[in-house]
Amino acid sequence: MLLSVRNLQTHLHLRRGLLRAVDGVSLEVAEGETLGLVGESGSGKTMTGLSLLRLLPKGSGRIAGGSIQLDGQELTTLSEAQLARDIRGRRIAMIMQDPMTSLNPVFSIGDQVGSPLRNHDIARGTALRGAVVDVLRRVRLPSPGERLGDYPHQFSGGQRQRIVAAMAIGCTPRLLVADEPTTALDVTIQVQIINLLRTIQDDTGAGIILITHDLGVAASLCRRIAVMYAGQIVETGPVRAIYRSPSHPYTQALLAAIPRLGAKRGRLTAIAGQPPSLIDPPTGCRFAARCPSRMAKCAEAPPVVDLGDGHSASCWKLAS
Amino acid sequence: MLRLFGRRLLQGLFSIIGASIIIFVISRLSGDPIVMMLPNDAPLSAIEEMRRTLGLDRPLWAQYLIFIQHALVGDFGNSYRWKMPALQLIMDRLPATIELAVCGLLFSVAVAVPVGVMSAVNRGGWVDRVGRVFAMLGQAMPAFWVGLLLILLFAIQLNWLPAFGYGSASQFVLPAISLGWYPVAAQTRIVRSAMLDVLDSDHIRLSRALGTPERLIVWKYALRNAAIPLLTMLGVYFAAMLGGAFVVETIFAWPGVGRTVVEAVFARDFPVVQAGVMFTSILFVASNLLVDLSYGLVDPRIRDAR
Repeated sequence: MLLSVRNLQTHLHLRRGLLRAVDGVSLEVAEGETLGLVGESGSGKTMTGLSLLRLLPKGSGRIAGGSIQLDGQELTTLSEAQLARDIRGRRIAMIMQDPMTSLNPVFSIGDQVGSPLRNHDIARGTALRGAVVDVLRRVRLPSPGERLGDYPHQFSGGQRQRIVAAMAIGCTPRLLVADEPTTALDVTIQVQIINLLRTIQDDTGAGIILITHDLGVAASLCRRIAVMYAGQIVETGPVRAIYRSPSHPYTQALLAAIPRLGAKRGRLTAIAGQPPSLIDPPTGCRFAARCPSRMAKCAEAPPVVDLGDGHSASCWKLAS
Repeated sequence: MLRLFGRRLLQGLFSIIGASIIIFVISRLSGDPIVMMLPNDAPLSAIEEMRRTLGLDRPLWAQYLIFIQHALVGDFGNSYRWKMPALQLIMDRLPATIELAVCGLLFSVAVAVPVGVMSAVNRGGWVDRVGRVFAMLGQAMPAFWVGLLLILLFAIQLNWLPAFGYGSASQFVLPAISLGWYPVAAQTRIVRSAMLDVLDSDHIRLSRALGTPERLIVWKYALRNAAIPLLTMLGVYFAAMLGGAFVVETIFAWPGVGRTVVEAVFARDFPVVQAGVMFTSILFVASNLLVDLSYGLVDPRIRDAR
């Protein structure tokens, strides 16, 4: 297995108290596979992604427990220097949400795309220019050779996301964490970026974790999906299984909240209530307070129920 | 960029004209130069005679027009006191003032940038705390007091550096520190807050995520962003140092424009005052223009702006 995360606990020490941003997440990504990490804002999906690279808020963030293994190598015990040298940008790379702010405004894109290549000793000196042009060509940036000296503001949003992608794939990482890579873009550009990620995966065989709140984007790119709620994964399985037979009440509610073309007009179903605070989360099922099929048992932590074919969900309803 | 530059140039021209009018009127409100130039028992006819020769009997606006007319061709009149062209007097002293201001600015930047950066990187750490105390001290201590303390310590007690004079490199040290002391505080603060902003930005997060060494992140990728607000401030401070160096120049017996103008004010030597102030205001405008131009060097977005 390329990436194997077991019982990950990520804590944020805030003034208001200890926030359990990621509370017992386990997931696996195989080579060449795309896993969609889906959930609403605040569900801990971005924190999970940042934990993989240990890029947590300085001072307050900490991985409190669990294990992260990349190709069998444990990452949670590595030093900051080892992470920067061997892991970040080299074997795991990240694409951030907003291409408009993800590039440094005062450095040329040639410098920025070349930076990971230089830092990880992939290319230096005269070979660097060629390597930069090459990687920009791979992300389909038009006439890359003439634009190395240009600055981020001279590119469109979609082009900038391609440049960000070029920075990420320069060192051919084994795993790509894409955090809402399409959210800030127009719909037509979204399609291009999704296709780009697919091409990158075909070219390099990298595993991808796609973090998104957009179930449509997840469905179009991922083979498997993990649904997060309040810092935990509540349901995981193949895309088809999740969409055809969502088993956790939260997943069902999430899918019911998607507007559909051609469906009979009517009100969209919103999920009543608010997600629980992660500073003092409820014992037992965290969705219980909002769940239409709540039972007395839900005050205890629900078991993970195997539904076959790699599909599982944490819910008492399924256990009985 | 060019249009911006042109607009700034025009604004600068108006500032210079405004400054010339103000200084022209104010200096004439300060008293009669003839009294200073002739002995106390000079006969009235001699005073009138002198006034006519110097053109001081004409109305103020006529005097101003004559002044501008001559100033445009570089003639500010002769110093009443030194009997030589006022412009030449100022030009002779100008290099010393510019050298001092440049050294003062270099000193302040050389302190403010590392301290500001380290304060931001180790927020709340000892550099941050010590830096904050020093910044407060810097703002609270006027230049003349800093200058005197420095002389007391380094020239008199330790005997390491000369207390006054102009010429050798060692004579630059104390005046430059006195002049650069005050702006250090404000510059440190602006570098610190700009660095804090940048270090929290998405592009720095991406740089970290891709394994850029922290040293490069701080001193290369973040610092150039933080330099933009610092530059704005430097333009203002450089100009203020050119014009405000007279205190430091006086303490250290520095042969600069500031001291010359101050002496000329006491002697009611109008041509020298006018030439000195005109030149300082031109330098003021020029240094602001220079900063406007240098934005383009640091920030490519401005380079392309029309």
